[in-house]
Amino acid sequence: MGSDFTQQIRDKAKELLEKGTVECVIGYETGSDGFSARPAFIYEPAEVERLVFDNTCSHNLVKYLLNKKGKPTAVIVKGCDSRSLNLLLSEKQIDRDNIFIIGVVCPGVVEWGWNNRSDQLQIRCNWCRQHNPVIYDFLVGEPVTEGPPDDFADIAAMETKSTEEREAFWREQAEHCVRCYACRQACPGCYCIDCFVEQLDPEWVGIRIAPEENLMWNTIRAFHLAGRCISCNECERVCPVNIPLSLLNRRIEREVLGLFDYRAGMSEDAVAPLITFMKDEKLGIGE
Amino acid sequence: MTKIIGKNELESWLSGIMKERTVFAPTRVDDLILFRPVQSADEIVFDYENTNLSPKELFFPKTETLFTAVPKDGDIELTPTTVDQEVILFGIRPCDARGIAILDGPFLDEPADSLWSQHREKTTMIGLSCTKPAPQCFCTSMGSAPNDASNVDIMLTQVEDGYAVETITEKGEKLLQGVELRESDVQPPVPTCDVNIPAEGIVEAITKMFDDPYWSRLADRCIHCNVCAYVCPTCYCFDIRDRTDKGKTERIRTWESCQSKGFTRIAGGYDPRADKGTRLRQRFCHKLLYFPQQFGALGCVGCGRCVIACPVNIDIREIISDVQKIGAEVGQGSN
Repeated sequence: MGSDFTQQIRDKAKELLEKGTVECVIGYETGSDGFSARPAFIYEPAEVERLVFDNTCSHNLVKYLLNKKGKPTAVIVKGCDSRSLNLLLSEKQIDRDNIFIIGVVCPGVVEWGWNNRSDQLQIRCNWCRQHNPVIYDFLVGEPVTEGPPDDFADIAAMETKSTEEREAFWREQAEHCVRCYACRQACPGCYCIDCFVEQLDPEWVGIRIAPEENLMWNTIRAFHLAGRCISCNECERVCPVNIPLSLLNRRIEREVLGLFDYRAGMSEDAVAPLITFMKDEKLGIGE
Repeated sequence: MTKIIGKNELESWLSGIMKERTVFAPTRVDDLILFRPVQSADEIVFDYENTNLSPKELFFPKTETLFTAVPKDGDIELTPTTVDQEVILFGIRPCDARGIAILDGPFLDEPADSLWSQHREKTTMIGLSCTKPAPQCFCTSMGSAPNDASNVDIMLTQVEDGYAVETITEKGEKLLQGVELRESDVQPPVPTCDVNIPAEGIVEAITKMFDDPYWSRLADRCIHCNVCAYVCPTCYCFDIRDRTDKGKTERIRTWESCQSKGFTRIAGGYDPRADKGTRLRQRFCHKLLYFPQQFGALGCVGCGRCVIACPVNIDIREIISDVQKIGAEVGQGSN
């Protein structure tokens, strides 16, 4: 996979930059440990040799498109990332005409950290049912058949615990949280100009980096992603204290799927259930 | 002669201290290693590379109340926070101890920060030499060493049958009173940290390439979270806010970072560092230019935490090399 995918990406990037179709290609290059990937911004055709693709390419590059508004840009997306691209298109945050999408049929990404790579797939790949990009202009790789629907086994396991156990669990996680906001900064769905957590009037969340405030922060962020999270799980990957944020996000994702039969980011003109109201809509839980 | 304490004796000594004082030590918390108060020596992890978060939070907590204010008799009564707890910090690495010493610069500069001074006074640091520096480590390049004992009260270095003990300060001597140490002619190993980062002349180099487009290109990749600053033993930016609840007001200080959008936003909405490139440059200029100009030492101790924690591999070691290279080129161009 690796070298062939890499070559196709380099060739396409070179062509796009030479023709002037785009100003910049956002892809992956090898990081400072010599083997794991990091985001790369390629502006010159001569630089395309830096581009690579392998199973450490877990970063969701779609987030960077928000910094490239109005500038023709190419971006490399895996299946999950492509859904966040649709999310941003449907929420009118980016302009389709300015974006060239290089979709990659994702072979899955492995658990890795700096100078540390395992053969184990990341947990995001266990629940992934979108190895094939849902939107692209150029496809790398042969589309694969997706697996059966996700059974949310991780969420079901969490629900076997008592309320007290779950509360204790989340309090401990909140104890670890340092509110570095890496989760938010990595998330393509978090693009508010003024995030609620930084608003002063009203002050939704206190300034203290302490369990109560941290719980509030993580909970509200999860709710703001209800029906919008596409489960790329970058938030969990970037967390410096390993808070299992997917347990929050996927709990809500399952709820949205059950209530509205809706998965975020599956099309660029989707009408998201929680930001719209249908006349004949049921009011939800308990009906 | 080397003074040695056996592993069992070390553990019983620490257990004794725990009865009277709070001992913070590296301990396993889920899959992390963090400095936490420990109740018994069994909880201490001895064979760790380094903790996920630096021990700076024992001196500069994530959140700390500076003072409280309550209305009283038509006036306002202010009560400053005092630090009463005596703390033993066991297992601090030389790089992190250097980080604390470096932060004495800004915090003890007149007028000294009262809380920092109190935490410093109440804390005794027992250092633990690194036997095997991790791949991300580069302490030697930043003026320290895996067995650098200069910033702790007591230094321990693992030897075959226990730990070699060096008493550095009076505080350390006091803590060791009554502890039986064995004399031995064993020479403690001298571990090396072989990664060589070209830090010499960095102040001049970064000054020369201050306006280089390098910073905005690098900022393309940065996602501007605060991870690097919060794992860093020498980042000390903070925010202050008042919080009033039921008539009582607290003035609270919390960690902040120059990477946050809005950290430098001032009244009227103007932000002198509004773009990503200048924000990212600030972090490296603070460590490699402003801090040495103000306080002498580089504001980095080479612990490598940011190298492994950065979600997008903004690697300070790589940046130092790039800055030297670009600085030299710019220098040549201007001659």
